[in-house]
Amino acid sequence: MTNRKGLDGKGKLAVAIGTLKLKNPVMTASGTFGYGEEYAPYVDLNRLGAIIVKGLSLKPRSGNPGPRIMETPAGMLNAIGLQNIGVKSFIRNKLPYLRQFDTAIIANVYGETIEEYLRVSEILTAAGGVHALEINVSCPNVKRGGVAFGTDPDMVAEVTNGVKDVTDLPVIVKLSPNVTDICVMAKAAEAAGADAVSLINTITGMSVDVEKRIPHLKNITGGLSGPAIKPVALRMVWQVAGRVRIPVIGVGGIMSPRDALEFFIAGARAIQVGTANFVEPRATMRIIDGIGAYMKRHRILDMDNLVGSLRI
Amino acid sequence: MWTGSIIFNNKLGPQHLHMAVRLPSEFVNPSPGQFVMIRPARGGEPLLSRPLSIYQFTRNQDHVILEFLYRIVGQGTELLSRLPSAAEVAMLGPLGNGFRIEKNRSHRILLAGGMGVAPITFLAQRLNDLVVTKAELQICLGAKSCAEIVGVERIKGFQGLMNIVTDDGTIGSCGLVTDLLPDITRGCDPCQTMIYACGPMAMLRTLAEELAPTRIPCQVSIEERMACGLGACLGCAVDVHNRRGRRVKKSLCKDGPVFNIEDICWEQL
Ligand SMILES: Cc1cc2nc3c(=O)[nH]c(=O)nc-3n(C[C@H](O)[C@H](O)[C@H](O)COP(=O)(O)OP(=O)(O)OC[C@H]3O[C@@H](n4cnc5c(N)ncnc54)[C@H](O)[C@@H]3O)c2cc1C
Ligand SMILES: Cc1cc2nc3c(=O)[nH]c(=O)nc-3n(C[C@H](O)[C@H](O)[C@H](O)COP(=O)(O)O)c2cc1C
Ligand code: FES
Repeated sequence: MTNRKGLDGKGKLAVAIGTLKLKNPVMTASGTFGYGEEYAPYVDLNRLGAIIVKGLSLKPRSGNPGPRIMETPAGMLNAIGLQNIGVKSFIRNKLPYLRQFDTAIIANVYGETIEEYLRVSEILTAAGGVHALEINVSCPNVKRGGVAFGTDPDMVAEVTNGVKDVTDLPVIVKLSPNVTDICVMAKAAEAAGADAVSLINTITGMSVDVEKRIPHLKNITGGLSGPAIKPVALRMVWQVAGRVRIPVIGVGGIMSPRDALEFFIAGARAIQVGTANFVEPRATMRIIDGIGAYMKRHRILDMDNLVGSLRI
Repeated sequence: MWTGSIIFNNKLGPQHLHMAVRLPSEFVNPSPGQFVMIRPARGGEPLLSRPLSIYQFTRNQDHVILEFLYRIVGQGTELLSRLPSAAEVAMLGPLGNGFRIEKNRSHRILLAGGMGVAPITFLAQRLNDLVVTKAELQICLGAKSCAEIVGVERIKGFQGLMNIVTDDGTIGSCGLVTDLLPDITRGCDPCQTMIYACGPMAMLRTLAEELAPTRIPCQVSIEERMACGLGACLGCAVDVHNRRGRRVKKSLCKDGPVFNIEDICWEQL
């Protein structure tokens, strides 16, 4: 089923995430690429390895009050609070558009309760045209669910297990960096049957307006993304890749081909581009081209020869 | 993303600048109230582009020229202000929904506070072509002081009545733009009138309160911090009442920046 759209997994840049075959390892990070259509005027969506859409909940969510974002040195804070149109509206209004592209569509799933995670996963599986699920147990900006599930290995396992029971799609568990040891969470996800883990979601942070003595974000705290978090993300990817057998997807501050390559060498099988889309809508295209050029220059035949090739 | 080349980037005062950028002729004609996301092309800090309203647009044979009026308030605008002629800027646009021009309403009142003068001037230029008598177009500019009233010369070239107010009375009358409202709207026919406004939040909030009982329609351009400018990040969400009176989130960058004043949930801002 995952090969239906010509994602035949051939070519130098092809990678496999479980049964999910991607034409290249570059995905768009959830919440930074809308539902894909927003970027269509700038990006050839057919060239992307995968599009991961904004986190979906069972019912529409209106998110947090503003201000929701603030730029900080080498990055930004966001506290969107998972505003989204809800899974049913996504299937009705956004998925038909996405289906026409020759790229994998990955839905990012969020729930306030385990039941909600399972229900959303079920609905997305039945819809057809979704190629994998990314389970978001790492959103720091919501009161219930999200990171509450991602900081306890038993909860990570329970959500993963439950979702695996209701879907035959590959399941990616998206991990939070806001934990003492991310490897514990990755191992819990793997043991519960996850097909892959993606990391990292944003790092909780804050910023203060000293003139007014108020937080820049109405939510007070927010999630830090962008180049500022890249070294942390890279370190975590390297640690997790050494501890689990399932593919690791690297996310965090990837702005350039060189950044992406660092993640592959450290052990990531694929990467996601987030904040970079805001800075330059065509960032993913430049990154895909740059990875290809690097492989050629270094005479690397396929991604398997690059992933985890760190020399220590 | 467009790459533009700066023609000039002139200081108009300690904090105000007037910038003109040359762009390829493929740049779509913008409408008044639309904006661009702009940053220096070479990148660096800050990472994100900043939204600026279009102040003036000129189409020439093989290129277009976009002009901006902006004020230095922080790092992003400070960085822009230091770009010399011939430096390159990266730009997305034109973005958003601008002002609706209703041709059948013969009385137009334009209110600009501070940098609100940028989109209001572009609008005044468009309306100028529709105006038959001077009284059909009224333009009110407000700012803190004389030094902060910028772009007056261009507006003076248009038809229409002009009022200037400053907080300290250093030019024009002393007070706020909204102080002019009772006089200007006295006897106005709500079916024939349209108010267009852009300025600081406090000004627009007062406007919303004062206009509510008059039933005169008003379109306002509002601001919120932005990351993508494309409706993707949901960073710029504002609460708006939909047709059924229900409160919904809209993306200021895609659904705005111009909204009907009565649709905005002011208590949320
Ligand atoms: C649609 C739109 C059109 C605009 N048009 C113009 C224009 O024509 N001319 C002009 O001078 N300015 C305009 N602005 C405002 C301009 O975008 C901000 O002044 C600029 O982004 C500030 O960036 P900075 O890095 O210099 O300041 P920052 O360091 O980002 O911020 C400095 C201060 O300004 C506030 N601020 C930042 N961004 C905004 C924003 N978007 N709206 C309101 N306050 C903000 C911050 O909270 C902070 O207090 C417009 C804004 C929008 C949303
Ligand atoms: C505005 C914004 C919204 C986001 N929304 C989501 C979301 O809905 N679900 C999710 O799993 N991650 C979300 N994220 C996290 C990103 O997918 C990504 O993990 C993070 O931003 C780090 O990558 P980056 O540094 O490349 O942006 C969001 C990030 C940003 C900046
Ligand atoms: S700035 Fe990203 S949605 Fe408006």
